[in-house]
Amino acid sequence: MRRKGLRGLLTFLVLSIGAFVAVLAVGYKPLLGLDLQGGVSVVLQPSEDVPTDQLDQAIDIIRSRVDALGVAEPDISRQGDTILVQLPGVENQTRALDLVGQTAELRFRPVCGVLPATDAVDAGATTTTTAPAGGTTNTTAPTTDSSATDTTESGLAPAVGLGTGESAGAVQADPTTSTAPPTTAPPTTDTPTATTVPATGEPSADCTAPPTDVNRNGITRRVDDNAEDPVILPEVDPDCDIDPADPTACWVARYWLGPTALKGDALSDASATFPNNQWVVNPIFKSGADGIDAFNEVAALCNTASPSCPTTQLAIVLDGVVISAPQINEPSFQRDQIQISGSFDEGSAKDLALVLRYGALPIELEPQQTQTVSATLGTDALHAGLVAGLIGLAIATVLMIAYYRLLGVLAIVSLLSGAMMLWTIIAYLGETRGLALTLAGVTGIIVSIGVSLDSNVVYYEHLKEDVANGRTLRSSVERSFSNAFSTIVKADMASIIGAAILYFLTVGAVRGFAFYLGLAALLDLVAFYFLLKPMVALLVTSRRFGAHPSWFGIPERSAAADGAGGPIVGLDDAGEDVP
Amino acid sequence: MSGIARLYRGDNDYDFRKLWRIALPLSAVLVVISVVSLFTRGLNLGIDFEGGGVWEVPSQDFSIGDARDAMGSVGEADAKITTLTNSSGDQIVRIQAGAESVTRSGEITETLADAAGVQPDEISVSTVGPSWGDNITDKAVRALVMFFVIMAIYIALTLEWRMAVGALVAVAHDIVISVGVYSLFQLEVTPATVVAFLTILGFSLYDTIVVFDKVKENQARVGLANRTTYTGLMNLSLNQTLMRSVNTTVVTVVPVLSILLIGAVLLGAVTLEEFGFALLIGLVSGAYSSIVVASSLVAALKEREPRNRQLRERLERSYDGAVPVTGIRHATPAAMRPAATAAASVGGSPASSSGASRGPGVDRPAGGTAIPPRPRKKKRR
Repeated sequence: MRRKGLRGLLTFLVLSIGAFVAVLAVGYKPLLGLDLQGGVSVVLQPSEDVPTDQLDQAIDIIRSRVDALGVAEPDISRQGDTILVQLPGVENQTRALDLVGQTAELRFRPVCGVLPATDAVDAGATTTTTAPAGGTTNTTAPTTDSSATDTTESGLAPAVGLGTGESAGAVQADPTTSTAPPTTAPPTTDTPTATTVPATGEPSADCTAPPTDVNRNGITRRVDDNAEDPVILPEVDPDCDIDPADPTACWVARYWLGPTALKGDALSDASATFPNNQWVVNPIFKSGADGIDAFNEVAALCNTASPSCPTTQLAIVLDGVVISAPQINEPSFQRDQIQISGSFDEGSAKDLALVLRYGALPIELEPQQTQTVSATLGTDALHAGLVAGLIGLAIATVLMIAYYRLLGVLAIVSLLSGAMMLWTIIAYLGETRGLALTLAGVTGIIVSIGVSLDSNVVYYEHLKEDVANGRTLRSSVERSFSNAFSTIVKADMASIIGAAILYFLTVGAVRGFAFYLGLAALLDLVAFYFLLKPMVALLVTSRRFGAHPSWFGIPERSAAADGAGGPIVGLDDAGEDVP
Repeated sequence: MSGIARLYRGDNDYDFRKLWRIALPLSAVLVVISVVSLFTRGLNLGIDFEGGGVWEVPSQDFSIGDARDAMGSVGEADAKITTLTNSSGDQIVRIQAGAESVTRSGEITETLADAAGVQPDEISVSTVGPSWGDNITDKAVRALVMFFVIMAIYIALTLEWRMAVGALVAVAHDIVISVGVYSLFQLEVTPATVVAFLTILGFSLYDTIVVFDKVKENQARVGLANRTTYTGLMNLSLNQTLMRSVNTTVVTVVPVLSILLIGAVLLGAVTLEEFGFALLIGLVSGAYSSIVVASSLVAALKEREPRNRQLRERLERSYDGAVPVTGIRHATPAAMRPAATAAASVGGSPASSSGASRGPGVDRPAGGTAIPPRPRKKKRR
């Protein structure tokens, strides 16, 4: 038994220390939750019940957006029917939250007119007929009519052209110039139907007059931003820090937009490429009536500057903001041969591609709980938790050793090995699964010190009792172990079941806590069986220690008892007579 | 020998029925106070349940008055404002506002940053929508119900159903009293508190299972079960596990106290304080309820079993009605012992005379608790 125990002990030590060293060697570290290192956390919940696959799809989209932010260790996970987004270490917290929370649909709207960013509404109304205004840029060469005052402000409006072959520059504004007067009927040859937009003759009702129901900044109110209504929406300089008191300071222009022609779900993909030394964006539409056909329908209208799209521009609108308003330079497109060009740099091209690709979440999400923790507060909390844990551990160690002597030392050894395994697992999961250690988790681990020591206490008390009942220390070891182990398995199983219930049925902090508590209970069982049992057995059966029960915190027999011979006999020949 | 020394040597032999007689009414009173307080005073729910926002502004020269002025300028004059001190001695102003502040959290952050002269990113902000709390509460309640059902099944399978009843009543007792403390003193309930309450479930259960498993073990001991009532058996098991309960509670409470005193009071980590206090209440309550509530209830339930009732009646006949529940601590029948040590160890039982090596008879003060003789007629070796 002794040799077998020794072998098991050694195997266990080699495995656990090996894993620990391996984790250290590859540089895995526990991933700190954002309450320990600072960052942003937001819990998003769908506004209505949605199937799981849609939720998962939304998670993928949010993850892509977050990846684009360059967050080091984002954690986006589904918890029940909510989505938890954690962005540790994020610096610009407001922007991150905005980006993640953006749940609105991507909409394509024909541009009726471009208004100056800050002018009053009626002023805007008068300029609407000067159609293409700043919509055309210096790169979109054939800008002939740039009479409007805001040309300089909207310098980014690109153009949509055919991305085929050698179409250099791609901004073939070509014959269909942007100045085309809104008189001729659009060549609706390729468009299957023109039901949604009045195609011929008199001007479309949608571009006759701009909506007058606007807020004090001259844009359509959020609640009135319906897909089927004409609206006035701003374009915002992406590099500008928005001042909540005066958001208009960051506006590049306001756009008077017609009803939504098609939505983001018409797109299947989009990418930013760099042909001919110029960054362009290539959206790819889905085929069929809900994809490229719908796009071509509106493209034909815009290309000919029909009354419903007099500026020839088609705005890409996300969440009430015009992201881009390229000119449509062809009447009809192949679904995968479209190119948006303009004065893009790498960043803006990729951003636009990202919006096109992931602009629309399949569901509407509402932020339920947001939390931002500054880095200093997080570090403080971590320090407080660590200091408290270490002091608690130190006092518990002193108590255990004072009470159980050598057995107490073994208990601490077993606890430390448990801690080592815990570190290994936390570091591994943090590195590979992105499982973060939160303050709740730290607390769970501190509390589990008590749980781990308890199993030792249960064992040692069994041992003491058996010895008190007259058994030898040696013969007590096995018996006490099996009794204690059965108790500990029952109790630990209760802990593990409880932790599992909490883990699967709750959200947020409770989950993290439950995970570490359950893990600690499991490791307690493992350390108890593979480490503590053989260690105690070895120590007790050893010649040097076995003869001194008091070294184990087990009361020495009284002199009378010793005189009577009694159980001490069994201890004198410890290590020899018991196989 | 002092009580502590006897405890250390495993010779304690208290009559827990005396404790039950005092503690059970006390528990009943505490539960009633808790329930009444819960219904009259309710709970002081944090923003995670009510909805609202918390801003923590790190600034040395930002006073509560300044904060109140700043909040007043955005129409949140009735915000709760407190100051904390972090580990490096810096002051943090903590501002808590109601659910209507959530939609304007950006504006409020800017205002506070301006007023305190710090960057907006230095301010920690938490906001919670009003419906989130219901969500959390629903989930916690569902988890609680599941916990009770599954634990009842688990304990009924591994131990027995009466023990499941006892254990879960004790757990319920702990939760009611812990929540009662929070209600009575109007302490703020946060998600961290809820986590701590849920941990209490586990701990309370853990303690109780250890005691009950000991009862099961003692029941299986040949001879013992026939010499004492179930209450006696329970009393013996409680005595045997008392030292474990004390030690475990101490080594568990020490780290928690450390969290509370060092982490929260000295280092000013609010979350740690929330965890620590609820855990402390729960741990103490859990240790207490497994000794008082769970065990007395199971003893009462078991005494109603026909088999145990008959045993009790028989024992009462032989003891003239007063069945001792103590004094059986080390009276393990000789048949249980390994041959080598049997003679030396029967100790307290008058039937075995040879050893007298060790046992209650030797260590206990003369004239100590009564040692029940075995029922002679049933004696079998």
